[in-house]
Amino acid sequence: MVAASNVADTAPTANRPRVARGWLVAVAVAVMASSTAAPATPRVPERDDEVLATLPRGVGHSSIEMRAQAAARLDVAIPLAQFYISQSRASGDLRFLGYAQALLAPWRDRSPPIAAVLVLEATVLQSRHSFTAALGELDGALAAQPDDLQAWLTRATVLRVLGRYQEARGSCERLASADPLIAELCTQSVRALEGHLSSAYDAVRALPGAALSGAAGAWRCSELGDMAARMGDAAQAEPWYRAALDLAPDDAYTRAAYADLLLASNRAAETLRLLQGYGSMESLLLRIAIAQQTLGDLRGLAHSRELLASAFAVEEQRGEEVHRREQARFLLDVTHDADAALRVARENWRTQREPADALILVRAARAAGQPAAAAPAVEFVRLTGLEDRRLAVYLQMASYRRQASRPEER
Amino acid sequence: MRRAQRLCAGRLPGGWMLLWCTLIAPVVQAHVASNGFLDLEAHGRTLAGSVELSVRDVELAIGVDAARDGRITWGELHAAAPRLVRYLADHFALAAGGAECPIRFGRLEVNSRVDGNYAWLPFEARCSHDPSPLGIRYHVLAGIDSSHRGLLRLGAGVIVQSAVLDPAVAEATLAPGHAAPWTAFAQYFQAGVRHIWSGIDHLLFLLSLLLPAVLSRRGARWEPVAAARPACLSILRVVTAFTLAHSITLSLAAFEVVRLPTRLTESVIAASIVVAALNNIFPLVTEARARIAFAFGLLHGFGFASVLTEMGLPEGARLLALLAFNCGIEAGQLAVVVAVMPLVYASRGLEAYRRALLPWGSGVIATVALGWLVQRAMG
Repeated sequence: MVAASNVADTAPTANRPRVARGWLVAVAVAVMASSTAAPATPRVPERDDEVLATLPRGVGHSSIEMRAQAAARLDVAIPLAQFYISQSRASGDLRFLGYAQALLAPWRDRSPPIAAVLVLEATVLQSRHSFTAALGELDGALAAQPDDLQAWLTRATVLRVLGRYQEARGSCERLASADPLIAELCTQSVRALEGHLSSAYDAVRALPGAALSGAAGAWRCSELGDMAARMGDAAQAEPWYRAALDLAPDDAYTRAAYADLLLASNRAAETLRLLQGYGSMESLLLRIAIAQQTLGDLRGLAHSRELLASAFAVEEQRGEEVHRREQARFLLDVTHDADAALRVARENWRTQREPADALILVRAARAAGQPAAAAPAVEFVRLTGLEDRRLAVYLQMASYRRQASRPEER
Repeated sequence: MRRAQRLCAGRLPGGWMLLWCTLIAPVVQAHVASNGFLDLEAHGRTLAGSVELSVRDVELAIGVDAARDGRITWGELHAAAPRLVRYLADHFALAAGGAECPIRFGRLEVNSRVDGNYAWLPFEARCSHDPSPLGIRYHVLAGIDSSHRGLLRLGAGVIVQSAVLDPAVAEATLAPGHAAPWTAFAQYFQAGVRHIWSGIDHLLFLLSLLLPAVLSRRGARWEPVAAARPACLSILRVVTAFTLAHSITLSLAAFEVVRLPTRLTESVIAASIVVAALNNIFPLVTEARARIAFAFGLLHGFGFASVLTEMGLPEGARLLALLAFNCGIEAGQLAVVVAVMPLVYASRGLEAYRRALLPWGSGVIATVALGWLVQRAMG
């Protein structure tokens, strides 16, 4: 029944005239494009003891009872929401954020507002990269409780990601009276993005590491690693990243940054070792894929690539922007589709402005042959004075020098 | 471990190396937010489809881990199937014309996706009114996981709509098969192009008629035509006759004016290829190939129509869809003609073309088509 066949069931290939091969390829691409979205065929497992899923802690049906209690008891809702948020951070599992948010929902619109609830809600939104919404919750929390340290710290973090450095420093300073060390760490790490990289590095290094708690100590080391990496000093950055991971092994951000440092120094095999067991997080799976590509592990690469592509496809379908930066880098470095990478990198730049976001936009624009598309990032670097060796390599190229040097000409 | 990675890095070929690399390749599942997949296909008042929830979400919703060991087995999930059906009946509903469409669930199966295993339940919903618009209520995991979404795919003919259902929102409304005219046109146009390119029997028929178009018959042998003009005219006549003929019957069949049994049309289509190809080897009709194209073109039109009927025409845009599908067929066909015929024209002077490619190529086409004929006639 060839005449009635649809695209999916193509007629015997051997009989096709050679001349039509070009279209056959086109049709085949269409078939593949439509089949990547389609799941495998459902099946009836042969054995009753086949394990279909292994549950992480706290997600069984028995947890429903405790979750139900949380609707009536704030002293249950808050620690349980905190537990789920920490589980999400440690595993990269986005479901936990949904659990936390559902627990907070009954407490969100209380009058008077409950600052702790709004701060947790903001943390969830921030983790989902809904930065503007997170700021709204934080403003609400601070209106209810102006001295909420966690709210100020989270606010500083969100503003920093948005590239609003002056406001971020303002939030950091609100911590000064209660915790001068944290306030200094917070302030200096923002200053480091505003053209004072070297002096900020020295200031943070001078902070007494031993006086900072575990989480804050890890934060300090991670910031120092980032600053050294931006200075282009991989030899200094590496021990800081290692120290940060020793203190906080679950910190996916630092692990990704360290992986980038290794990848940039052509140490792909070590990257894989660093990321072993962390492939369930898109950001880290992306680095695994890049390392596999470098090492020529085509089988591993195909697997990672499929997982990433389908995860990004579902995120796009849901209209979410959690991993836009990773998606852009995936398109640029793994699937080598510069135009698509540029499209996503531009969307990403609208929501977040960390050095890595500028870098991916500049790289994608260059690869796509549209250096002018990176103008917003180039302008941002000029206005803020952001120093980053990795970025500078691209900005010093001829096509950008003219744009970047314009202010001096005036 | 380090050694293994070095080996992978060394790119030395060999089976044992592959094994090493596979062993250290991370076996992982990407973490995506919680999704339920709803797949619906509208056929008149009946909606056939499936609902898919991740096994982990099923555990959260109804509790299937009887052994309480943190592992869900097929035995446990299967035993919980009746409770899952009850849960879905409470948390998922379809409605048309103000009346709920009763849903009957089928047998539970398992589907593997990149983020793990899913419980897959087929169902059929029979509405008492036309499900246009169709109301969809979806409250799975409402109040438990605020990031859960139902990813809906609703197909009607070739028009496919998708929607993201938020369990916190009371009801979503969709009109199956309705799409902006431009979208409908584009989708049916693409279906037409795809059909002509994947169902190669139509192209083989056309090619069989076009291969000798650059030649003329002198006595018992083929000779290349001297100029481009007669060749182009000959090609144009054949293509136009074929197009005209299949457009007529496609329209008649699509509007159900005439109907022929599929087996008959499919068999005759195969026979038409045999005839056209054999005519190149043992020429009977040498100048009036456009007439063959027209006569058999009528039957090919019925073939196209059966595909179109299978896909279904959207209500309210039947003519537009028919036009789009036909345009798609013509465009696909024209693309092949434009790509192939210059080559054929260029090689018309070659002895090899007249002595080998034309007869032997036609012979191969005739053999293949004869196989189809037998296959189709025997059913």
